[in-house]
Amino acid sequence: MILRFEITNGSRSPALAESVELGDDGTISGWRTVSPAGVGWFAGRLPEAELAEVRALAGAVRTAPAPSLARPGASTETLDLDATGPYSIAGSRDGLAVAARWLVQRLTDFPRAAVTVTHPSPEVARLEHRGTEPLRLDLTSVAVSAAVWRGYYEPAGTWSGVIGGPGEMEAGPGWTLDLPLEIDAPADPGITVHLAVDFAIRHGGSSMPVEARYEPDIEAPE
Amino acid sequence: MTAPEGPIPGQRIVKPADAPDTNVPGPLRLPAAGNAAIARLLQSAPSPAALGDLMQLAGNSLLARIALPSAPAGGAPPAPAGLAGGATGSEIADLQMKLSRLQASAAPLTEDGKFGPLTEAAVRTFQGSNGLEVTGQPDAATRTAVDTAFAALSPPVRVQVALGSTGLDVGFAQQKLNAAGATPRLAINGVFDNTMLGAVIAYEIVAVHRFPQGIVDATVWAALDAGTQGGFVADEGASNTPIEQLTPSGTANALGVQVAGTSLHPVTGVGGLTSGPAVHELQQKLNTAGATPPLKDDGSFGPKTRAALQAFQNGKVPVTGTADAATWAALDAAAPATTTGSISRTWDEVVGGATYGLTSNYSWEIQKTRMVVTAKVNFVGLAPPAAWFGHVPAKWNQFQGVDPATGRTMPIDFQMTRGGGGDSNTVEVKRGNDRANAGEWYLGDTDAANTIPHEYGHLIGLQDEYQLHPADYVRVTGHEPPVGDAGGPATPPATIATGIQAAMVARSGVAAKAATVGAGLKPGAYAQRVVAEYALLAPVNLAAVAEVPGPPKITGLPAFTTTGEVLSDLDNALRDDLPRYDTIQVLSYSSGSIMGDQSRVKDPHDHGAQPRHLAQFMTILGQALGGTWEARRR
Ligand SMILES: [Zn+2]
Repeated sequence: MILRFEITNGSRSPALAESVELGDDGTISGWRTVSPAGVGWFAGRLPEAELAEVRALAGAVRTAPAPSLARPGASTETLDLDATGPYSIAGSRDGLAVAARWLVQRLTDFPRAAVTVTHPSPEVARLEHRGTEPLRLDLTSVAVSAAVWRGYYEPAGTWSGVIGGPGEMEAGPGWTLDLPLEIDAPADPGITVHLAVDFAIRHGGSSMPVEARYEPDIEAPE
Repeated sequence: MTAPEGPIPGQRIVKPADAPDTNVPGPLRLPAAGNAAIARLLQSAPSPAALGDLMQLAGNSLLARIALPSAPAGGAPPAPAGLAGGATGSEIADLQMKLSRLQASAAPLTEDGKFGPLTEAAVRTFQGSNGLEVTGQPDAATRTAVDTAFAALSPPVRVQVALGSTGLDVGFAQQKLNAAGATPRLAINGVFDNTMLGAVIAYEIVAVHRFPQGIVDATVWAALDAGTQGGFVADEGASNTPIEQLTPSGTANALGVQVAGTSLHPVTGVGGLTSGPAVHELQQKLNTAGATPPLKDDGSFGPKTRAALQAFQNGKVPVTGTADAATWAALDAAAPATTTGSISRTWDEVVGGATYGLTSNYSWEIQKTRMVVTAKVNFVGLAPPAAWFGHVPAKWNQFQGVDPATGRTMPIDFQMTRGGGGDSNTVEVKRGNDRANAGEWYLGDTDAANTIPHEYGHLIGLQDEYQLHPADYVRVTGHEPPVGDAGGPATPPATIATGIQAAMVARSGVAAKAATVGAGLKPGAYAQRVVAEYALLAPVNLAAVAEVPGPPKITGLPAFTTTGEVLSDLDNALRDDLPRYDTIQVLSYSSGSIMGDQSRVKDPHDHGAQPRHLAQFMTILGQALGGTWEARRR
């Protein structure tokens, strides 16, 4: 193992409970609970150049640095290296901490059994399976919310609804589920809609709450 | 492809994580008012401030349809609240409190000092039922009548309590004994035990001047009530909403605890800051301390400033030509007063049983007609939206310093500016809508109007006001912990405490929540009995927990021995998840202010920015201008 990184935050709902592990051979795997690029299980292999960079950063650490105090409100962030065992990197902005956080983002490029949300038409939020393996979803209650932005993140309204969903089901490759939206944002190039869909993924005997997000980039003004 | 049938049922009005700072108590209570406001909005160009409030009030599809005008690019203070006969915000806040208690308002009014439609409606109702001309304006006659009616309200009915008594009244007596200086502080647990007996006896001797009887009877209650306000539950508004009235206690200090051995002054000069407010402050202090020839107060650390600094250092501190902590201490002693200054405050806080910390960099300047407080932010990552810069003055620029002895006033304006350097704060701007913290802010935060002012509070040294231990809650808010739920569920406190420990042994946040929230436990006196019972349990050694291979892989937990301090034990023993957070919430105290947890604590009396949050600047005004200053709503 080169590193394992875990980030958790129980003060938000659904909670952040994400992890990424990078193996010596470049295998990257992990779990996302709140993400604009899919929630669920991800696994793949990091290209050699990227792997070498992280390996060098991790290899330079011999002992766990004195923990910097986490900033008020910060998530719990734990980095685990073979050389050190787990230690907190909340509040740290050093190269390895930045790389660990980046790996959580990078993870979503390797979906194994994951679900994402898209926005194919104004009235539809669509859940879509990503990856090669099925996963069980708990869609008993699905909360959909939308944020409408004008220009660069000027708030232009929010909307949310709770749906009594189809219950528990297996989602495999090709699976989609359309959820109706009742937003009526102006068809204006200056308007951007972001979506969040809250549901749960079944694993073992329990349900893990997750939030799939749809967040097209908004270009910052010059 | 499968699709659920029909449109989404049960559409609910979106409520932001933090409640809006309007005098609307809750979005669900006034749909009609919301619709009327939206209708007005559609007829005319609304102000951005009104839109912001409306979107929080009723962020629904209708609003999503409205094309908004551009928000101001920051710095613009909110438009003045409606007509209120020239009354200040403090007077309006007082009026709001009284109208609520007189039940002239429909629901409890939030004491925000803003004369909005709900306050106006309450004025009308009061005028109508008191034979006054119904104008909706709080003119002098109306205010006098309100004051008279308020003074005529019957005092709270007090119950005699003695050793063995339990319940709300015991809790209120505990609050007031604490406010009167009981040592050690009494837990607000609603139980008249031997510790409380000692405090009552002491109070009888010292404050009531009678032979102690160890009971809180009518005489003792009269003395306690005369000495300290609050400490009872009043029905507010026509809705008869029971609201616990806060009990002031001591002087609030809302700042995070300064880390021992740190200086509030940034290192200034070579190797530190060489321009900006810190250098202005240095030059002014050197001049006051007798620099010859006097330095030009230009905020630029050049050879002359360095020479004057060395001359000052000579014989007092090592002559380095750089103002370090020791030099600043000597300068502060020689020349306390300046008109500008730079603060670098390293502080920490204990929230939810864990310790957090920050160095807050900010500056202040006393100008002719106002004081300006600036937090400079070095934004990294993505660009911050312009609206964020407007959220800070909208929430914070509501106060002025007042020196009652001389009648002098000084508005305090807060601003967030962009910039780097040693006196800036680094904030990473990220995509998405995660939980913001003092160093990471999220572009997709639909509640940025509250979040940004909260995080700004951290940048001027203020600590969080949620999930606190009782002593921290009192220090930070300046009032006693609320009695809250004194009766509790049927489950005995010791049983709940044992359940919490068992949940720790099982390493299960879900079990901890089931033992507390699930058993009907709510924040307040009964929950503090659980905290005390937990402290009596023998410590347990929790074995390390192996990881779950997954997916998802769940990291193991290290071995841990419980300490009896329930919040830190929960923090250490359990994973950082929502059930753990909810469990810690009921066993701790949170305020409803901008630095508290407005999403979970609805307190019409302690909402938004509060005078306590400006106390440090009142001290600075006193140093610079003389006198004793207090923060009041404009
Ligand atoms: Zn905070």
